[in-house]
Amino acid sequence: PRPDVHPLPPGTHLLFAQSGKIEHVPLDGYNMKKNEAKAVLYLPDKVVIGVAYDCVDKVIFWTDITSPSISKASLHGGEPTTVISSDLESPEGIAIDHLGRTMFWTDSMQDRIEVASLDGRQRRVLINTGLVNPRAIIADPIRGYLYWTDWNRDAPKIETSYMDGSNRRVLVKDDLGLPNGLTLDPQTSLLCWADAGTLRVECMNPSVSNRKKVLEGIQYPFGITAYGSNLYYTDWQRQVDGGPVDSSTKKETDEFLPSKRSRLYGITIAYAQCPSGYNYCAVN
Amino acid sequence: DSTAGTPTDCTPCPCPEGTSCAVVPKTKEVVCTNCPTGTTGKRCELCDDGYFGDPTGQSRPASPCRACKCSDNIDPNAVGNCDRETGECLKCIYNTDGFFCDRCKDGFYGNALAANPADKCKACSCSPFGTVNRQTNCNQLTGKCPCLPHVTNRDCSACDPGFFNLQSGRGCEPCNCSAIGSTN
Repeated sequence: PRPDVHPLPPGTHLLFAQSGKIEHVPLDGYNMKKNEAKAVLYLPDKVVIGVAYDCVDKVIFWTDITSPSISKASLHGGEPTTVISSDLESPEGIAIDHLGRTMFWTDSMQDRIEVASLDGRQRRVLINTGLVNPRAIIADPIRGYLYWTDWNRDAPKIETSYMDGSNRRVLVKDDLGLPNGLTLDPQTSLLCWADAGTLRVECMNPSVSNRKKVLEGIQYPFGITAYGSNLYYTDWQRQVDGGPVDSSTKKETDEFLPSKRSRLYGITIAYAQCPSGYNYCAVN
Repeated sequence: DSTAGTPTDCTPCPCPEGTSCAVVPKTKEVVCTNCPTGTTGKRCELCDDGYFGDPTGQSRPASPCRACKCSDNIDPNAVGNCDRETGECLKCIYNTDGFFCDRCKDGFYGNALAANPADKCKACSCSPFGTVNRQTNCNQLTGKCPCLPHVTNRDCSACDPGFFNLQSGRGCEPCNCSAIGSTN
């Protein structure tokens, strides 16, 4: 098939970063329509790490570490626009609160978590202590929580706080290696992480703490995203878009191997429609 | 454009041999889509994350993309470990610094190239009272802090024999003990 750049057709898609581009794979139910995989955006001189999707305006946001910045592009077509380019060093994970119209990101050199509105204004540092290698970040705007990973080799952890950075606490610190990827299914509120140290995918309900191993003996996971009861993850070693993994059956059911053999980074779901729900900030 | 109906509808990709390309619809720009391992960019002229070089000789003699060379003082789980063109190391660990993470960072001393991370770079920990201008830096290799007059030890934490009052912060003063009345 001739590769090309196209706006996304309707439906639900996987979006993932491979250094100079963001690709998509359409989903048919939970199945990846692999022969319809295409680049959505070519960013040839960038190294894209984190991707997030604003389901309201149908806009992709991403972090780039070559000229450290956060940018966005509409999936209806339209030029990529840089939203934030100052005072960033190694922006990696990015998350969108589609209700509050804000974005959150980690910076592994500044060791910070910051927030700004989706146009880049009203920027504020939320967390700047006790971080060594912050990477993945997830927002749960319906319940009002942030979750993030820190792959500090001496003390890896998964933490949570309210969306203003208050009420911070460690959720997981034992039996963790390099928690590179993190995802939350908005329906089941199951928090799952992909660990390149323990080579496992594990899940837990953050309010109940019933931790479960979902997948073991994987190769080198980086990003992970949940869609329904399925999980999709990227892998540095296989250079494939592993998954979907059914989080109830603990089996890997399919894999997608992009034609270019280079590392895959962040992965996210582009929902056809926003998950339902509202929060305080959305009406204020 | 294969539908224009001219002999030049299709032209070869301006990419390394055997790799594909695509036209960006909006800008009509041609980008290579399947650059060889370690390379990326519109014309495969850049190195991927974790690699450095100048594969097409854009701004220096052409050199293939090679893995970052950072003296084993980077973490393979980090991204952006070196400048993709110059190879300058950007994420040195174990308190190392320098273009190749090959020296200790300021305030640390030792052998950045030691095999065991515990033997690499140790904190200078200069004594604030005994060190010139309360400096925190020391000799990169020996760890010797710059001591005030008559102050001794690597970290400037003691007075020379026959001197006292390190706490003065101006160096140690002679004891001036009487040779006759003192035991030694």
